[in-house]
Amino acid sequence: MIAPLQIKLLSKSYERIGKPPFIAVKDLSFEVNAGEILGLLGPNGAGKSTTLNCITGFYPATKGEVLIDGFNVHTDSKKAKQRLGVCHQEDTLDTDFDVLDQMIRYGTFYRMDHFEIVKRARELLETLGLISKSNELIENLSGGMRRKLQVARALISNPKVLVLDEPTTGLDPDGRRVLWSLLKENRKKGVATLLSTHYMEEAERLCDRIAILFEGTILDLDSPERLIEKHVGSTIIEEEIRPGVLWKRNPNLEDVFLKLTGKSLSGEARNG
Amino acid sequence: MGSWHKLKESFWPIRCVWLRYFDVYLKNWRYGLVTTFVEPMLYLCSFGYGLGSMIGNVESNGIVVSYRQFVFAGVVAQSCLFQGFFEAAYGSFVRMYYQRIFKAMASTPITLSEVLWGELIWDATKGTLSATAVLALGVLIGDFSVLGSLICIPLCFLGALLFSSLGLWMAALSKTIEEISYPQYLIVFPMFLFCGVYFPLENLPRNIQIFASLLPLTALLSLIRTLTLDFPFHPEAMGVFIFWLVLLVLLSRDTMSRRLVK
Repeated sequence: MIAPLQIKLLSKSYERIGKPPFIAVKDLSFEVNAGEILGLLGPNGAGKSTTLNCITGFYPATKGEVLIDGFNVHTDSKKAKQRLGVCHQEDTLDTDFDVLDQMIRYGTFYRMDHFEIVKRARELLETLGLISKSNELIENLSGGMRRKLQVARALISNPKVLVLDEPTTGLDPDGRRVLWSLLKENRKKGVATLLSTHYMEEAERLCDRIAILFEGTILDLDSPERLIEKHVGSTIIEEEIRPGVLWKRNPNLEDVFLKLTGKSLSGEARNG
Repeated sequence: MGSWHKLKESFWPIRCVWLRYFDVYLKNWRYGLVTTFVEPMLYLCSFGYGLGSMIGNVESNGIVVSYRQFVFAGVVAQSCLFQGFFEAAYGSFVRMYYQRIFKAMASTPITLSEVLWGELIWDATKGTLSATAVLALGVLIGDFSVLGSLICIPLCFLGALLFSSLGLWMAALSKTIEEISYPQYLIVFPMFLFCGVYFPLENLPRNIQIFASLLPLTALLSLIRTLTLDFPFHPEAMGVFIFWLVLLVLLSRDTMSRRLVK
């Protein structure tokens, strides 16, 4: 069976006046299978957003190709994007509409039947705890609600491939869990999800596999358990969390990241 | 894929984008009515009736018309300029930079090219609505011919599309929303004042006349007065109009695409 999302030797560079082009991502190749959540982990500037912008067809790739359900997102974009749902990192909600209208509007862009859109929109709003806000204007929603709405909007067309760029940023723990359970439901339905995140816990809990992206290349791609086993081992880690207070813990993805890049996910250089 | 097939395929998405704007317009209909219809009516009352009663008749292109008729035709073109430019410049800057809905819409099966066509066609529609209101009033009071005014509506649409493209281009070039003031004060207002909206171009020094005749508002005005007031047809005005229309549509779409897509 062909993977719903296939990225083949994707490269993207930006032209700069009087300077050589800046290579943001180089020769990325990976697949996201049906019913799989693949995490894209990397510090700021690693090339995550560029990768996602190329995958969603918004930026043209300098080299390589992105196939969504077999359709090239750049040369056959309409068919590819018909099968794609996107939640951008930035807030792209249409503030001229209320919550339900927002969903309906986007459903029409996918040529969905009006009754089907309304039914689907209500289901999603119900799941995400936004149904009571159906008639609220976007500006009256909290940051967390706006984020959830953006994810709901990405799911309106029942996409085969879902691309989420830091979807839980700004969400409280409860909101985060609601979203996680929605993503797990989608995994059961066979949706291929590409998730960019800063949160270790999120990546470890949700993702079947994780690609560690650094300076535009994938350093490793594997399941969270295997990444930890391969790069850090199972040795208990001892950390001084406050002066004189030692904390023993199991190794995690942050340790893998530090080992591979010498940087933490927030971009800080490793001490010592 | 043939051009016709592509055009047919793009019709639905462009319609979706246009409907998005139209729905927002209907939601805010009070604001829409004021900006679309009240502004040209104020100009008509103050210049057409106010100044018109003092000036009487004017002669331009060898034709004598009442000043009110002269200004009515001018306000038709001015509506295309103001409504098209301001909606596209400020509105599209907000949609591109603050709301980021161009990006959101272009992540669906609608392409960025179709989003930008929808934007331009909506902006032009708003300009056409405003110009049509002035034309209708001109017909009602007997200043314009019915047939000429009807033919004028598609011309107004193209005129508003031209100035919408200018607005979109300026929005794409501006780093901040405040920067749109530059083209507003350095291009739009001078055009409005010196292209013959309120007085015949013949009153200006020869050099300024030549310069003004190369500007799109002068060309649009010439064509509108030909249709509504039976002024002589100037083929060069048609040439200038088509030149600016094609150039600005291409430039605006290309520059905005480059701004959004890295």
